[in-house]
Amino acid sequence: MLFNSLDFALFFIVVFACYWMLQRRLFGQNALLLSSSYFFYACWDWKFLFLLVFSTLLDYFSGILIERSTHKKTRLFWLWLSIGCNLGFLGFFKYYNFFIASFQELLSNFGLHASTWTLQIILPVGISFYTFHGLSYVIDVYKKRIIAERNFVDYGLFVSYFPLLVAGPIERATHLLPQLKQKRTFDYQKGVDGLRQILWGLFKKIVIADNCAIYANEIFNNSDHYSGSTLVMGALFFTFQIYGDFSGYSDIALGTSRLLGIELLKNFSFPYFSRDIAEFWRRWHISLSSWFKDYVYIPLGGSKGGKWSQIKNTFIVFLLSGFWHGANWTFIAWGFLNALYFLPLLLLNKNRNHIEIVAKNRVFPSGKELFQICCTFGLTVFAWIFFRADNLSHAFNYIEGIFSSKLFSLPEVRPSNVIVLILFFISIEWFGRKNNYALENFALSWSASFRWGFYIILLISLFIMGSKAQEFIYFQF
Amino acid sequence: MKKFLKRLLIFTVLFFVVDKLFYIFIYLSPKYQVDNRIEKLLEGEINKEVIILGSSRGAMNIMANQLEAQTGKSTYNIAFPGSDVTFHDFILKTLLKFNKKPKIIIFALDSPSELLPTASINYRFDRLYPLVKYDYINQELINKGDRNFTSWFLCLSRLNKTNLSLKRNSTKFDNVQPDGSTPLDFENPNFKADYILSVGNYEIKDESDEKRKAFKSILDQCKSNNIKLIFAFSPNFQIYNTAFEKRMRQFKTPNSSFFVYDSLNSSYKDASNFYDESHLNAKGAKIFTSELSNYINLNQ
Repeated sequence: MLFNSLDFALFFIVVFACYWMLQRRLFGQNALLLSSSYFFYACWDWKFLFLLVFSTLLDYFSGILIERSTHKKTRLFWLWLSIGCNLGFLGFFKYYNFFIASFQELLSNFGLHASTWTLQIILPVGISFYTFHGLSYVIDVYKKRIIAERNFVDYGLFVSYFPLLVAGPIERATHLLPQLKQKRTFDYQKGVDGLRQILWGLFKKIVIADNCAIYANEIFNNSDHYSGSTLVMGALFFTFQIYGDFSGYSDIALGTSRLLGIELLKNFSFPYFSRDIAEFWRRWHISLSSWFKDYVYIPLGGSKGGKWSQIKNTFIVFLLSGFWHGANWTFIAWGFLNALYFLPLLLLNKNRNHIEIVAKNRVFPSGKELFQICCTFGLTVFAWIFFRADNLSHAFNYIEGIFSSKLFSLPEVRPSNVIVLILFFISIEWFGRKNNYALENFALSWSASFRWGFYIILLISLFIMGSKAQEFIYFQF
Repeated sequence: MKKFLKRLLIFTVLFFVVDKLFYIFIYLSPKYQVDNRIEKLLEGEINKEVIILGSSRGAMNIMANQLEAQTGKSTYNIAFPGSDVTFHDFILKTLLKFNKKPKIIIFALDSPSELLPTASINYRFDRLYPLVKYDYINQELINKGDRNFTSWFLCLSRLNKTNLSLKRNSTKFDNVQPDGSTPLDFENPNFKADYILSVGNYEIKDESDEKRKAFKSILDQCKSNNIKLIFAFSPNFQIYNTAFEKRMRQFKTPNSSFFVYDSLNSSYKDASNFYDESHLNAKGAKIFTSELSNYINLNQ
């Protein structure tokens, strides 16, 4: 059941109506959301629902047992049992074949042959996301940042809440659980804001990402046949595809949840307007970056052990982040490349130079800022080639293709309608960059008729530019 | 909540009104088709004795007007280049629903990919999009999962971005003649005239269930309507694929017969009769159509 499908719209209308009918009954609302979330997940593959429930039960009881135990060893035992099981499931379903294939390749390099042990494993949708929910929870309980949750419905909902179940944002118990315990009443402004964010998310996904995908796929799948300038176009199309796809998904998730009176963590904050790569990573997939910072980087010592330690920990985090995205060396190369981009900033202590959004009190950026944005954007586009490529040799061939022939010629693929849409999209994002999402305050000062007209135009574009509901890229992670 | 629902309702009504303005595109779309044969089918204008069904091999290798002249039977070609058997099945259903049933159907087979999954032939949604004003086509798009039920009450839901361009994007391959055939009367500069002396193995396990089901549906429709079905094997610039013929013969029904081109005919080893490895040009099509006419005349 894709967010951009009619099935989801019907599902949500039913949930929304029932949910607000239970307005005065908190337990009823949470139980409804939990059962709806399980139904939503079962629509993908009901068999994996058992895995989700098992993982939820494991972390739920681990949390309680960690809290109850007074001995450090016992607490550690339950903590590691939970971490081990969670990572074990993730490792098996997501990485088993990758490790086996890599091991066989390594052996074959030494002239040894190993029989095939790969299995036909289907990756349960959302496993990377709900595993991280569970992990953060048990670690937080162990670290005594939160008390263990006794109410299974609330805890189950924290792990399985349908807007964030299959592709995040990766929530924290400290942020979501308290909201689940509060009485929720419908707020008109929040409701309207939620609808607006959903509309913008759908526009990003259906109009921008899906249309860019047509050309990105064509160029990446036939990269041998295209000129350097066309390959650059292909990388640019993918850059907007992945942003539109993933941030669009996040916007729909946040908007949907806001309609139910629950605020989720912000996941994107105009990353392509970043002035350096550190700023980019504070604005791209924020919930994952902060997860790795809090549960990997800081426990490893963060920046406390001096420059060398900081560099080492940064590389570990980026490599893990790359690996989290998928069982392919391309993702690891993508993580490594981003760590390399980060290195000069770390060495020069400039990784926290740009905290605020660019040109905060101005309409346009300065020349210097524009140059910085373009450089960072260029580096990001280059890194996305590794992310999109089928394998490392495809990525290297693609890059070689960019620099080998007709880099400065007119691209063979240059769909003017998609380019115009991207420019329109960038403009709206630019003018809305000071908000939580581009459309948050956009057009609010206009008269209602113009504002509604604008929304209707966006809605029309969804119908006209969309085709069959396309899956979101991040579902595979 | 009341205010929210009230506003949402007003917005929905407004959107519904704006949506109706888009009916103009639904109405105008058929005028910009490059090939109006499906519309003719829907309007019941294809009432012929012999119908040619299939993909590009049917459209380009068999000339309906020549066949008509040589057999004395009225003939029309409704084969669509790039289409697969699931599309042929739909075309046949449409033919039988809106037109007089033919006496003979010539089914041009795609050797060897008739039942195999391949990217080169598929269901031609693009041929249906200009015809969404017809409820029958809309229902077919819904059945195929390309549209949903909202297309019954939302014009925008029926439309595709191609409907809005309002221009005829035809290529030299869209040379549809009044008899429905599409002869290739131009040269292909990329054709390497190397006669292929090998054919690959044919594995039944590789067949697509969906295509097999559609293929059987065509057989059933012909059988239940008492239509004579001729499976036509047209030449490739390659030695004859007997394994594929053997597989196709397993589908034989009492009302069906098999026409195989004369593989000893030297014309089919002459590159000047071919457009590419798997299609005859207009000159080659003339030779092949003559053979087919003779076969029909002899088996009346």
